[in-house]
Amino acid sequence: MKSRYEAAKNVFIDSIDNDDYIELNSSISAYKQLEHSINKPLKMILLFGKPGTGKSILLNRIHNKLKHQREIHYFDTPAINEKEFFHKLFKVLTKKDLPNNTEVNFSALVDFCKNLRGKREIIILLDEAQMYGPEMMEKIRLFSDSRAVKFVVSLHKTENEDLIAKEHFQSRIWEVIELKNATKEDQTTYIHKKLLKKNLFEIANSIKDKDMKLIHAFTKGNFRECNKLLFTLFEICEYYDENEPSKINYEQIPQRIIEMAALKLGYIHV
Amino acid sequence: MYDIKPLEEEWKKYKKKKMRPWFVLLFSILLVLLVSLTFLNYKEIDFLNFNDKSKVEAVTKVPTALLIDKALTTLEIKKPEITEIKPVTVTSHENDSNEIVEDMPIEEEAAIINKPKIKEETAQKNRKKVHLNIIETTSASAYKDVAKRFHQSHDTDDSLFLAKVYYRKGNYKKAEYWALQTNKVNGNIEEGWLIFAKSKVKLGRKNEAIRILTTYIKKSNSGRAKSLLHKIKKGTL
Repeated sequence: MKSRYEAAKNVFIDSIDNDDYIELNSSISAYKQLEHSINKPLKMILLFGKPGTGKSILLNRIHNKLKHQREIHYFDTPAINEKEFFHKLFKVLTKKDLPNNTEVNFSALVDFCKNLRGKREIIILLDEAQMYGPEMMEKIRLFSDSRAVKFVVSLHKTENEDLIAKEHFQSRIWEVIELKNATKEDQTTYIHKKLLKKNLFEIANSIKDKDMKLIHAFTKGNFRECNKLLFTLFEICEYYDENEPSKINYEQIPQRIIEMAALKLGYIHV
Repeated sequence: MYDIKPLEEEWKKYKKKKMRPWFVLLFSILLVLLVSLTFLNYKEIDFLNFNDKSKVEAVTKVPTALLIDKALTTLEIKKPEITEIKPVTVTSHENDSNEIVEDMPIEEEAAIINKPKIKEETAQKNRKKVHLNIIETTSASAYKDVAKRFHQSHDTDDSLFLAKVYYRKGNYKKAEYWALQTNKVNGNIEEGWLIFAKSKVKLGRKNEAIRILTTYIKKSNSGRAKSLLHKIKKGTL
């Protein structure tokens, strides 16, 4: 017989699937802000925040929501070089594959974009944009100047990346949306909603408020860290449930297990 | 999950480490409390001894060689804030000996006056005028001063006084010492022998006490000594 904790563990496998999207106060607000910005005549929108704050899932969410209404494209993985990026862009703009042994000319592509002005409005969601170099970012800016292509650039927030953002976009017409780590209340809602979505009501109920406080302290409200911690936590619970049931309290997740998971993930040390 | 055992061990270590500051804090609090209680307790004992009027009065009545019982009522007590200390002349009884030896703590209202320094100023016929510089002090330091003075003057009243006070306070070792000092200076003071024997009994050296008292009775044929010996033998001391 499968342990009840196996399903709970799988709930917290980190993914950006649309099904895994949890509506929280903060995420609803960020979503609305992004949707509103996209509707504005902006050339570039910067979405930034620390890793694990939900940037990718937000881009994925907006892509899924708007793909049937708008011409929106999601570049989830950054192109390893210019050539590949231009190929991708060519495909989006022309809706055709690039013929074999053909190379995309940058200026021709910019001209093509300029010709599209007023005819089409293409939205390109660029995830992990910190992977693009400064030169590449400059070319992206030139594409956006055509006003036919609108870029939503998602960046990890670090000191260096802030610098890139400042250098390349400061003078442009753009908007910044910053995603932050979740508050304790938001994180509690996130965990509960995730479990309830899979009908794991008893398990959701076994994580008490003080456990949530501890989880928030360990993960600092970061969604990715939260997923990792909860996955490990339920993995340990699963082991005890199957091998040493006396060591687990089904009514309430023992604090010991949360600390063991935190030790395993290196949030705390001996 | 195959590494659960090492993880459990790691968690135990973590828990111990986490609890350590609390243990240290608890231990520190207990230590501070213990020290405070000991200190307060000490102060309280001292305070009680210090203020127990009946005890102090009893002490003042005990010495047979107290020669200044009348004069005490006329003593002027100098408060510490008064820099100029007026010497007070104390006149002893005419029919008593010329030795003025008493300098025990005297309590007057809240203030305890100790450590009078006696100076012989003028010798008159059967009469002695003594200047007493009386200053307030604690009983503990007064005892020290009396002891110090005994070492200089070898006055048996001082040593006998200390023997009695320490015996009453239950410090039998010191009582024994001061009784012995008294007996060394003057072997004919009965009180000295009695306190010496009683202190020995209290210190668990009953046989020694019996031997000493027997010897003293042979020499003095003292009724009090006989009565004490009887009590010691019966174990009713």
